[in-house]
Amino acid sequence: MDRSISIKKAVAGALVIAGLLAVPLLTNGYTQYVVNLVTVYVVLGIGLNILLGYAGQFAFANAAFMGIGAYTTAILSSQLGLPFWICIPAAGIVTAMIGSLCAVPAMRTASIYLALVTFAFAELMVWVFINWKGVTNGSNGISVPAPDLFGYVLRGDKRLYYLLLPSCLAMLWLASRILKSYVGRSFVIVRESEIVARCNGINVGRTKMVAFALSALFGGVGGALFAYTVGLVLPQSFGLFQLIIHIAIVVLGGMASLAGAVIGALLLTTLPEVLRDFQSLQEVMFGAALVMVAIFMPRGIAGALTRLGVLPREMLVRGTISPKRQPDDRNLPHPAIPVAVGGQND
Amino acid sequence: MGFMTLFMAGLAHGSLYALVALGLVLIYKTQGIVNWAHGELLMVGAFSGYTAFVLAGLPYPLAFLVAVLAGALLGALMERIAFRGIVHEHHATLALVAIGFSVIIKGVARIPFGADVYTLPPALPDAAPLRFAGAIVTSQSALTIAISVGITLLLLAIFRYTRTGKQMQATQQNLNGARIVGINTGRIFSITWALAAAVGAIAGLLAGPISLLYPDMGSEFLLKGFAAAVLGGFHSVTGAIVGGLLVGVIEMLIGGYVSTAFQQVSPFLIIIIVLFVRPHGLFGRRPVERV
Repeated sequence: MDRSISIKKAVAGALVIAGLLAVPLLTNGYTQYVVNLVTVYVVLGIGLNILLGYAGQFAFANAAFMGIGAYTTAILSSQLGLPFWICIPAAGIVTAMIGSLCAVPAMRTASIYLALVTFAFAELMVWVFINWKGVTNGSNGISVPAPDLFGYVLRGDKRLYYLLLPSCLAMLWLASRILKSYVGRSFVIVRESEIVARCNGINVGRTKMVAFALSALFGGVGGALFAYTVGLVLPQSFGLFQLIIHIAIVVLGGMASLAGAVIGALLLTTLPEVLRDFQSLQEVMFGAALVMVAIFMPRGIAGALTRLGVLPREMLVRGTISPKRQPDDRNLPHPAIPVAVGGQND
Repeated sequence: MGFMTLFMAGLAHGSLYALVALGLVLIYKTQGIVNWAHGELLMVGAFSGYTAFVLAGLPYPLAFLVAVLAGALLGALMERIAFRGIVHEHHATLALVAIGFSVIIKGVARIPFGADVYTLPPALPDAAPLRFAGAIVTSQSALTIAISVGITLLLLAIFRYTRTGKQMQATQQNLNGARIVGINTGRIFSITWALAAAVGAIAGLLAGPISLLYPDMGSEFLLKGFAAAVLGGFHSVTGAIVGGLLVGVIEMLIGGYVSTAFQQVSPFLIIIIVLFVRPHGLFGRRPVERV
């Protein structure tokens, strides 16, 4: 029986991937651009979700990480002419290093103070992007050449999609592996109680630093992909509005949920496009959508779907709940008790 | 400009930031919510004052009243329809709701006022600038400082001497305890938000002649209000006032003696430096953690 399930899973996975690969057949230039943005924001959403949802660090620096990643890519590819398979990892490494530095205040402060200090850092970075003209070219921005793979130039949104989709899926896979590992589980314990974590021999400071570095890595890679997608890196792209989009992806999608990051990225990228028809009411309706979803689904869409049973609960430890198990058996010892990551206690 | 002139201008700006920080601290102390839409309450105060004073031609005190009522109503409304039901949710959810409100309010303000920039004339257009200890103080600055001091004293008196003020303090100290002794905490929440928003709206009206009026004007004041509240430790009303004045003076001195480019980022630098040196604010104490 296990075998037939795994075959079914493999077939379903192959169908999903084939469907995703076929997306450019159905799109025109503009919708393809929006689809590309979705893949970018999935990576960015995972980045903030690692920090905010899993590790419980109320930090708002991810728009800055994204900007640093985008600028790293833009500078490396336009000034030095490096290919994308060097630029994207380089962006990730640079931001991961800066991100681990951002963990230093997190060791001393928490909750809103951390939010404010990281928010101040994000705004400071925008100021740096604008005023450090020698490197960032100020408000004029840097244009990013189309990535090329050994001479084959991925120009145009449809070709670019075949760079973005594998990167996005790879990052998604990486995140799910890391979050199910020792590292990911220690994030959750640190979120729930730092004291319990310390009692269990988890180095809280180092865990926070890893969480920040990892979140920044995803932010940086997302920024690099963003730079290739839009083709022009401008300082204004990484300001307050970008931050709002990131938080909205995580909160509306669902905190501590990778499916939530995907749902949030889909929603927040397509919503402004749908609202474009309303012209002057666009901003009001966008704000209203944020407020309504947050009021009626405080755990996000993934949280609501999980409660309805549409989405499976995400497990940190691979548990097997045998179907024969009765509700009365709850007190009996069970070999593998699943630890759900769904609920957020605060 | 002389040091004293810069200092007095800093105090005038700082008293505005103090009013913003005061509202932020009041809301945070009562419900643990950081109101990211507070800048927009200030903007609403400024624009409703502009509508009453310039467009409708009402006298200044009436325009003042209109701004206060508009701000208070909006603040109380936001709390009642959104925050009261989800106050126990995660900080990020609360932040997103507040941000959503700020986007809505800005969008609504853009419908009649568009992307233009408006100027609000000063309350006392004919008054000559005052000279005080070698400093030149404009009448608007003097008025700003005077009104801010008046509001602060009024609020402190309300907390201290009125029944509602004492109930507000009780609610801040222990929500469940306050409920047990029969305080209508829902009413206290509404009053707190109305007070905080009214103070923000007054700051907006006073800021009108100093700053320009446009739908995005609130974010700058919000940031400086945050810096002030962080300096004060987010838990203390007097801390917020002192923090606001400090932020205003520091900002003016940096602008006068260092460079205006650094003046723009001074609130961020203040937030970062303060939280590095004293992680819980200048007047804050480290919370004791219970297991």
